[in-house]
This record gives sequence, C-alpha cells and structure tokens, in this order.
Amino acid sequence: MKQLIDRLDARLDAWGEALKGRELRFPSDLTAGIVFALVGIAMLLAMPGQVTTTGGDVVDGRAFPTLLMVVMLACCAALIGKELVKLARKQPITWKTINLLVEVKALVILGILLVTYLLCKYTGLFVIGAVFCVLGFLAFFRCKKWSYYVITLALAVGIWCAFRFGLGVSF
Amino acid sequence: MLEFIGPASGLLFTLENIFWINIGVFIGSVFAAIPGLTVILCVILFLPFTYQMTAIPGMMFLLGIYCAGGYGGSVSAILINTPGTPHAAATMLDGHPLSKQGRTKAALKIALYASTFGGVFSALMLLFLGPQVARVAAQLGTAEYFMVCLFGLTIIAGVSGKSMIKGIISACIGLLLSCVGTDPMTGYDRLTFGIGRLYMGLDLAVCLIGLFALVEILAKAELKPDALHLDAKKMEDNGVITKDEYKRMVRPVLLSSLIGSLVGIIPGTGASEASWFSYNTAKNMSKHPEEFGHGSVEGIAAAESANNAVTGATLIPLLTLGIPGDGTVAIMLSALMINGLNPGLSLFTTDGAIMYAIMLGLILVNLFMLLQGKFLTKLFAKVVSIPQEILTPIIVIFCFAGAYSVNKNYFDVSVALVFAVIAWVLRKLDMPAVPILLGMVLGNMTETNFRRALHISNGNPAIFFSSIYCIIFLVLIVVAVGTIVRGKLNERKAAQAAGKEH
Repeated sequence: MKQLIDRLDARLDAWGEALKGRELRFPSDLTAGIVFALVGIAMLLAMPGQVTTTGGDVVDGRAFPTLLMVVMLACCAALIGKELVKLARKQPITWKTINLLVEVKALVILGILLVTYLLCKYTGLFVIGAVFCVLGFLAFFRCKKWSYYVITLALAVGIWCAFRFGLGVSF
Repeated sequence: MLEFIGPASGLLFTLENIFWINIGVFIGSVFAAIPGLTVILCVILFLPFTYQMTAIPGMMFLLGIYCAGGYGGSVSAILINTPGTPHAAATMLDGHPLSKQGRTKAALKIALYASTFGGVFSALMLLFLGPQVARVAAQLGTAEYFMVCLFGLTIIAGVSGKSMIKGIISACIGLLLSCVGTDPMTGYDRLTFGIGRLYMGLDLAVCLIGLFALVEILAKAELKPDALHLDAKKMEDNGVITKDEYKRMVRPVLLSSLIGSLVGIIPGTGASEASWFSYNTAKNMSKHPEEFGHGSVEGIAAAESANNAVTGATLIPLLTLGIPGDGTVAIMLSALMINGLNPGLSLFTTDGAIMYAIMLGLILVNLFMLLQGKFLTKLFAKVVSIPQEILTPIIVIFCFAGAYSVNKNYFDVSVALVFAVIAWVLRKLDMPAVPILLGMVLGNMTETNFRRALHISNGNPAIFFSSIYCIIFLVLIVVAVGTIVRGKLNERKAAQAAGKEH
C-alpha cells in the first residue's frame, strides 16, 4: 500500500514539475472588455424574449436592465479603446499570467466540489457528500496524518449534526 | 431617543442575546486570526444560522463576528507577521517588531484596548448620528433615493479595484443579477432563461457563498505548501504596558477612532483604508516617528482603533439609507430584512426599541470582545496554525450546508457552485467582486426608485435634477469620481516613477 502511494506521489510530482513551468499570458483588460462586451450584447439580444412588457407603461421592466447593459457596453468600449490606444502608441498594456499547474489544481478542486454536490443531491444524504469532501480534500493535499482524517471527519459529522438537529435542516 | 432606551435595554439584556454575542465574538476572533479566512467569509458562512433567529440575537451574533474580526486579524499579524485579515496589515508593521522584541503579550494588549476603544467610539457615533441621518433620509423622494443609490454604487465601484471602469462593469453585473426573478412592479418573470426556480430571484446569501467563500476554496490551488507555525514561547512575556506608553497612545487612539468613523460612513471605503490613513496620520503627528515600523505602540494603537472604529459607522448609511458601508454589512442587511426591518426612519421610530437594542448591543459586543480578548487570546493565537488540510473541507461543508439551508434545496448549492466558477474567472480578469455584491444588494432599491421617479414625471428624466438633494448628490458623484480618478492617476504616476528608479 505504502509503495503504491509513493509511486502515485512520484507520478503526481512529475506531472506537477511538467506543468509548473507552463504559463499562459493574455492581455487582461482587453480580454475583460471583449468578454463583457459579448455578455452585454448577448443580454441585449435576449432581453425581448426574457422580459415581457405590456406596452402601455412609461417605464417597463426592460428599461433598467437595458440601461445597465448600455452602461456596461460603454465601459467595455472605454476599456478596449484604452488598451488599443496603448497598443497604437506602443505603450505597455496590462498582461496577466496564468500558471497551468494552478489551473489544473483548481479544476481538480472543482471536481471534488461537483462530486460532493452530486453525492449530496442523488443520495439525499448530506453526510455522505461531507465524508467524500473530507477524504477528497485530504487526498488532494496528500495528507498522510491519520489524526487529520479522524479530526476532520469528526468535525464534518459534527457540522451535519448541528444543522440537522440544532437548526432542524433535514438533509 | 431616551424613550427607546428603556425598552431597548429590556430587549437587549437577555441570556439569549448575551450567549449569541459571545458566540459571535469567539467565532469572529478565531476566523480573523487565521490567515486567508476573512470576516466577510465568516459572516457569509454563519448567515444561514440567523435565519432561524429573531432580529436582535441574529444581529448581535453577526455584529459579534464583525467587530471581533477587526481585532482577531491583529493576532496573526503580531505573532507570525501575516495579517489574519487585510485590514490588519498596518498593525503588522509595528505589532510584529514589538513581538520580536519579546513583548508579544503587550502588543496584543495594545491592539485589544485600541480595538475596543475604537469599537465603542464608533458604536456611540451610530447611536447619536444614526437617528439624525435617518431624519434627513425621510425627506428623500424616489428620485433622490435613486441618486443616493447611484452615489453609493459609484464610490464602491471606484474604490473596489485597481480600475474604476472594471468596478462599474462589476456593479452593472450585480445590478443585472438583482433583476433576475419576478419584476417588482409588474409581477412578470425576468431573465429566468426557462429555469423555473429562478422566478423567486437569486438568493443573496447563496450567491455570496459562491462569490466569496467557494472561490477561496478554488484559490487553494495557489496555496504554497509551507505551513504557518506559531512558536509557543512567544507568549511568555509579562505583557506590561508602561504609563508613558499609555500616555502616548491617547492621541493616536482618539484621532484614529474619529478617522475610522468618518471613513466608515463613506460607502465603499472600509477598515483597510481607515487603518492605513490613521497609521500615516499618527506617524506624521508623533514625536517619535522614527519608531514607526520598529515596534511603535502608537502605530499599533492607531491602526487597530481605526479599523474597529469603522464597524459602527458603516452601519449608519446602511440603517438610514439602505446603502451598505462595506461588503460585510451588506450581508447583514438581509438578516435585518428577513425580520421585516427595512432601512429608513421607520427603523428608528416604529421599530425604535429593536433598533436601539441593536445599537446599544454594539457597545456590549465591544465590551465582550475586550473580555474574551483578555482571557482567550492564547487560544486565538493557537488557531493561527490550524492546518489548511483540516480547514478547507470544513469550510466547504459549511458552504454547502449553508446554501442548502436557505431554501432547503440542492438547486441553491448548484447556484453557489456556478457563482464560484464565475468568481474564479473574474479573478483571472482582475475584476473586483465587491461591486457585484453591492449591486445585488442595491439593485432592487435602485430600480424601483428609478422606475417610480420616471412614472411620477411621466418619463421625463429631468426629475433626477429637480430637487436640492438630487443636485447635492449629483455634485457628490462628480466630486467622488474626480477624486477617485485623480487618486488612481497619482498612484499610476508614483508606480511609474518607482519603476524608473529601479
């Protein structure tokens, strides 16, 4: 068992080393401007189908969200314009660097969260999801201290009991 | 005011309230002492507990967390040179050097006393200023209220991140999210995209669990494996503060409490701004500026009294106008509203007894913080080194249980997960999350007043410039935007100059 864990650790370390140096650079302000401009346009296009109006109102239910999206689009245009001017003047623009190892780890954490959610939802027993969550995260941190497993599992069950019996939340 | 003090005292001094204050203070101190866990995260996690309580114990519990969080952050700042919360960073500059001189207990005591004074000062400001501001607020009509919301959102968007434009985009997203669900004026569904459960709108607590709590779990991917270890020998000094040191603390504590309270009243600014501003002021006014950064008692006292002086002051715009002073109190608003207490003058008249009980309770919270700080600081210090391996899954379980218990269904948990992913993407794009929260809090009020005002004026936007209050707020918005833009330009110039020097 110990050998198996050691081999798994070694393989994970090798993957980690391979990903550690890989970085992705992107212009953050320009990307933010484009992403939110697309969101704004999509929302404006979806608005007629998503907000019903009666036609007789001075200000209907569409007015406020439409105004918001117009303001957002104006801000996006300013953000994009600012970065384009910098590019034209050959001034440095705002860049963001993403480390692939961090992103892969974040995806693994998201996976643990999703499985926890699905276990809670489909078994109808919150405590099962809680136990998986504890084991998943301790494995993620590569914890080898048994005392940590015992303490965290006890705390997880304790929280479930507090909500179930203390607050009367049935799950 | 006096007619409410008697009934309010009767409502406040119950065993239940004292119990919840102490639980809140304890949890707040422990959470804030752990680097990486913030007060806002703690309030979000424990908000669902208050849904089962009445207004006073619920608010006492949350205020206990909020105030103690102001002090708790200083524990790790002093002990391990890592601020437990962002606003304790200024405390760290002198707290840790004093600890290194073998005076850890003294540094913690100074932080505790200064925090308590700042907190009580701020609570008194709330008690005396709150009703006066509420009286002015009662004179505001729908157009004026819309301008107040706009003013709050502008400042919040401006000071929340590095870029004001990005702050406004975030605020727009928050306001848009508040539109999801039933239209408050027509009753039609809006922006539900065919998801039946969204007709009730997005629950603020659920969204916050994703935006602020679960995203911190995803951020564990960035965690360095080094654990934080506390040297137990550090707490063995006698903790004596000399008469001369007490004397030197008086002026910075008084001045910083005032600065903290004034900063706290302005929406969007918070404990971090107050503590840095007060720290610099104390340094400039000190007879011993050379001691700052090397264990100055004045430095610790100034930073700590200022960050706790924000606590009561942030409640002034919240309780009178419904504009939260900072992100944490924005969450408390839902604890109030779930009990049918809406911000405004009625809170100080119709519900006066409850409101005054909460305001008096804030003084009590600070006194219990002093007591717990005096007797339990050693325990708070120990939690500094709780391993991340244990903390992380426990926070997730709290988040899931909290999200589920809001409406007792797993749909809310999935909403929290979606918001966690959105918050992660926003972080990658350097978009601030606080304006989203405040947009969601203020959305309904902003839209309702915007539409009502235009209905009254038959669609004429001139109504937003028609009264003296509207013009005052318009001028304030222009001044605020100008000041923020100028500040950011100065910051950029300073950064460029520093870059050239290096």
